Amino acid sequence: MTETAASPMPQLGLTLRSLVRADATVLLRSRQALILNFVLPIIVLVVTNRGRFGNPGFLIGMAITYGLLSSALIGYSTTVARDREAGVFQRLRVSPTPTWAIMASRLGVQLATNLAVAVVVMVVGSIIHSTAFTAGDYLLILVVSLLGAAVFLSLGQALVGLVRSATLINAIGRVLYILLILTGILGSTGILGDDFKTFASWTPVGALINLYSAVLNLVPWGSDETTALIACLGYIVVFAGIGIRWFRWDPQ
Amino acid sequence: MGDAERPAILEVRELVVRYGSQTAVDGLGFSILRGEIFGLLGPNGAGKTTTLSVIEGLKKPVSGSVSVDGASPIHAPLAVKAKLGVQLQASSFQAELTIEQLARLHAGLYGLDLPRRALRDRLADVGLEQEAAKPFKKLSGGQQQRFSLMVATIHDPPILLLDEPTSGLDPQSRRQLWDRIERSREAGGSVLLTTHSMEEAQAVCDRVAIIDHGRLQALGAPGELVAMHRDDPRVRAVARGDVTLEDVFIGLTGSAIRD
Repeated sequence: MTETAASPMPQLGLTLRSLVRADATVLLRSRQALILNFVLPIIVLVVTNRGRFGNPGFLIGMAITYGLLSSALIGYSTTVARDREAGVFQRLRVSPTPTWAIMASRLGVQLATNLAVAVVVMVVGSIIHSTAFTAGDYLLILVVSLLGAAVFLSLGQALVGLVRSATLINAIGRVLYILLILTGILGSTGILGDDFKTFASWTPVGALINLYSAVLNLVPWGSDETTALIACLGYIVVFAGIGIRWFRWDPQ
Repeated sequence: MGDAERPAILEVRELVVRYGSQTAVDGLGFSILRGEIFGLLGPNGAGKTTTLSVIEGLKKPVSGSVSVDGASPIHAPLAVKAKLGVQLQASSFQAELTIEQLARLHAGLYGLDLPRRALRDRLADVGLEQEAAKPFKKLSGGQQQRFSLMVATIHDPPILLLDEPTSGLDPQSRRQLWDRIERSREAGGSVLLTTHSMEEAQAVCDRVAIIDHGRLQALGAPGELVAMHRDDPRVRAVARGDVTLEDVFIGLTGSAIRD
């Protein structure tokens, strides 16, 4: 520490690189993140394959959807809430780092992981279901996965924006997770009637499963798929808006 | 160079901060000279941490101004943050990262792309090279404080803010920290620290400000404050024998316990 020490503004590139490296390390070292991101979708694939619940494209889409949902709603939101409560953000915010960079790094790492998960699930799914996918299929799945990850991360962000306590966020996240999964499964099977099926197709899980089914050429693109796309974009705008507007960085 | 000739590195003027209807800081003003160690003393809830939060650019005041080396944390928070080294009251780092990874992260946030050898050297400077692969939570209290101080000074800042830096430390660790603070002053840096320890204030601070209810109660060198308030009836009422800085502090801020 010297009187003459220059304190120039750090370069944004170095700031972002440092944040991304740290956030990626945190994610890779977290057993919970590993299970939520990779293991859970694979389990869904294996279980649904044994039960012969539906065609491969639908089941792979569902497995990716549940992976995205769990990693965002339980993984991302809980980690953000925990770090806020522990003062990790406070420590980062006293450095000359723009707050958007702190959050962009976390979201970027999470999105990249989600895309990696989508590829892994597709590869494993194609082996389990003895189905071959073209490069175009992979590309489309990545695009839908990016959209799905954005939907669920926005939902996770809204949760940490509206609720302060990490314990409460963890609990609400798990309840929401179960509700959304049940709605998606029950809605897609249609066993609770057409009205419920229509309602389910508008939920984040239902909309995303519809999009996965469409891009895997299971169904031709129609009004349901357009509705699903609009619903996903709407969810991103609303949830991200809530999450940004009401998010508080400080623990108290 | 005399005090009158030394320029101020930090100036706080007429600062007012509110949380809802509660006023946490009420017209506070003081300045810190280059190369000075300045103590901000006050009971719990006096407004010390809130004042630091404004200087750090984390909290916006209702009115008043703050200038850090000529820059305003209200108008140019990132520029001010680049000039500050900050040790928070409860330092928390990502639990999954080792302290070497944390040091690398925070060096990067201050614009330093340090190679591994340089990071190890920094850790060795604070006696933590052997602990490089451990997470922060696995360090002892003294080691955590040394690491936090290392992170706060990693970019060689002209001014260091320390929020209760010796809280919970054993006497050996406390003395080590005082030595480090003293060394940073010898290198030309300035330090603003908050503390509940009058012993610490007397041992390391050139000047102290005693604040209560967000207002300045007294300002001066510890010895001057004792001399100035020696005959104050509020101070005499609490003194046991020779008047100390603690007697002055309690006399001016009251004996009631604060939560």
